[in-house]
Amino acid sequence: MRYKVLTVDDSKTVRIIVRKAFKPYDVEIIEAANGVEGLAMAGKEQPDVILLDITMPVMDGVEMLTKLKSDPELKGIPVIMLTAEGGRDNVLKIAKIGVRDYIVKPFKEELLVEKVGRIIDLKPITDGPTKTKSILDPCSLLVVEDKPAIIQQIQEGLKHTPWKIHGVGATGEAIDFLSKNTPDLIMISLSLPEEAAFTLFRLIRASVKTKYTPIFGLCVKTETNTQQMAQQVGFTSIVTKPLDVPDLEAKVAKAMNLDTSRRYFAIEGEFFVMKLPESTTTVVINEVSNYLKPKVSEAVDSGICKAIIDVKEVKSLNMNIIKLLFHTMQTCRELALQFALVGNETISAECKGFEDTRNWSFFSSVDDAKASLTKAVAAPA
Amino acid sequence: MPTIDSISEDIFQETMNRAVQDVFRTMLSSSANLVHGSGAASSDGAPWKHPVDLSGAQIVGTVGFIGDISGLIYLYFSADFSKFVASQMLGMSLPEVEASGDEVVNDAIGEITNMTVGGFKNQLCDQGFPCRLTIPSILRGSNFSIEPVSGATRRTYTFEVQGHHLVTDLLMKNSD
Repeated sequence: MRYKVLTVDDSKTVRIIVRKAFKPYDVEIIEAANGVEGLAMAGKEQPDVILLDITMPVMDGVEMLTKLKSDPELKGIPVIMLTAEGGRDNVLKIAKIGVRDYIVKPFKEELLVEKVGRIIDLKPITDGPTKTKSILDPCSLLVVEDKPAIIQQIQEGLKHTPWKIHGVGATGEAIDFLSKNTPDLIMISLSLPEEAAFTLFRLIRASVKTKYTPIFGLCVKTETNTQQMAQQVGFTSIVTKPLDVPDLEAKVAKAMNLDTSRRYFAIEGEFFVMKLPESTTTVVINEVSNYLKPKVSEAVDSGICKAIIDVKEVKSLNMNIIKLLFHTMQTCRELALQFALVGNETISAECKGFEDTRNWSFFSSVDDAKASLTKAVAAPA
Repeated sequence: MPTIDSISEDIFQETMNRAVQDVFRTMLSSSANLVHGSGAASSDGAPWKHPVDLSGAQIVGTVGFIGDISGLIYLYFSADFSKFVASQMLGMSLPEVEASGDEVVNDAIGEITNMTVGGFKNQLCDQGFPCRLTIPSILRGSNFSIEPVSGATRRTYTFEVQGHHLVTDLLMKNSD
C-alpha cells in the first residue's frame, strides 16, 4: 500500500515544493489549504504523516492540531509542523500538544524528506522493466578504501565501463561526498580502522537517499569472520581481495539491476547480432542464455529476419559455449530467422573435431556473413 | 520586560540581514548582500515616501507580526525579480512561470515574505519579544501609496540578489 502524506498549507508554493520533494518516492501527496480542509482530508484519507503550517485562514494549524489530537480516530497520525512560526517558546508550546517534529521555514527539500523518512519507509520510485538502466548507461560508484592501490585497481579494471568511480580514503570524506551526491553503488573496505565500515554502513542506511543503495564490503579472502559479520549486518555483497575484476563487474551490474544484454545483443540495420566476448565465462553464458529468447523474439517482432552469431573473439571452445551456440541456432530456427556464424580459424578448426559441430561453417567477418545472408534472401526460391 | 527601545539599530539591521540571507540561501540557493540600511525614521503624519522607484510594476509582499512587539514588513520586488523568485522556488523555467500567470508569482512572493518576516520575528521572539505572524498579502501595481501608521518607526534595507534589488521596509509600532 502506498504511503500518504497530507500537506496542510495555505501557500500553493509550499504545497508544490512538498510535491516536488517527494516526487522521486513512492508516496501519495494529498493537499489541504487550511485546518478545516486538513481535518476533513485527514478523516477521509487517513494519511501516514501530516505536514502542518500554522498561520492559515479559516482554521490555523494549532487549532487543527488540537482537534486532531482530541479525535480518537486521528490522534495517532504523526504530525510534522512546517511553518515560519519559530522561536523557542512557540515551538515548545506547540510541541506539548503532540508533534513528531518541527521544521521552521525556510527549509531544504532534503531536510523535509529526511524527517518524513524517519516516520515512513520512503521507497524510491523504480522505473518499469523497459526503463531499466543498461550496462552502457553512466553510473556513479563510491569506493571507501584506505589503500589507494585498491581504489586504483578498481578504477583501472572498470575503466572500459561508463561508470564513474569516486574513491575516498576515509569515512569523513565519504560522508561529505554522500551529502552532495547519491551514488548508484557503494563499496566499503571492511578493514577500515575501528570498525568504521559498519558505522558508515549504518549511517548510509539511515539516510532516505541511500536506504536502498547497494553496499559492497571489500575484504581479504581469508577474513571469514569479518565477511560473516558484514553479511549479517546486511551488506549487499562481499568482494574479496585480491580482486577478481570481471567478477566484481558482474556483481556490480547485478546489484544495480543493470540490463547487460546490450553487451551481447545488438540490432545493426536489418540484422540481429549476437556477439560473445573474448572471455566467455560461465557467468557470461548464463547471462546470454537468459536474454536469448526474449531478445530474438524482440528482433523478430520488430521485423528482423536475419541473424549473425559472432564468436570471432572467443579464443577457444568448450562444452558450455557449444551448448549455447546450439541453443541459439535452435531459437533462430524456431522463429524462422536466417542466421550465419562468424568465427576465427581456431574455433573453426575446433568445430571440425566434434561430431555434432563438424558441419558448422564460419565466415571470417561480420560483413561477409551479412553479405551472404542478404544474397540468400534476395535469391529467388 | 524589555522594550523595543532597547533594541539597537545594529541589532535591527543584523536581524533583518540574517533573515533575508537565510531565506534566499535556503530557498533559492542565492546569496543576498545588504547594500544599504536607512536607520530609523519616525512618521510625521505625511505619506511614506516609497523606498523604490514605482515607475515599473512592483510586487510587494506584506506580513505583520503581533505580540509584545508589533509591526509590518513589506518586501518590494520588481516584476522580473518576482518571476525569478517564483521560478527558483518552484523549480520551473521562466516561460513556465509566465504561462502560469500572476497568481503563481503572487503566491511565491507571499511565501518568501512569510519566511523572511518569520525569520526576523523569530529572532526577536528569542530575545524576549514573543509575537506571532499574520497571513501574507500582496500588492501589485505601479502607482500606489502606503499611509503611515501613527506612532510608527520605519527602517528600510536594500539587498542585492543575483543582479536584482530587494527592498525590505520595516514598520514597527513604537512602545507605549
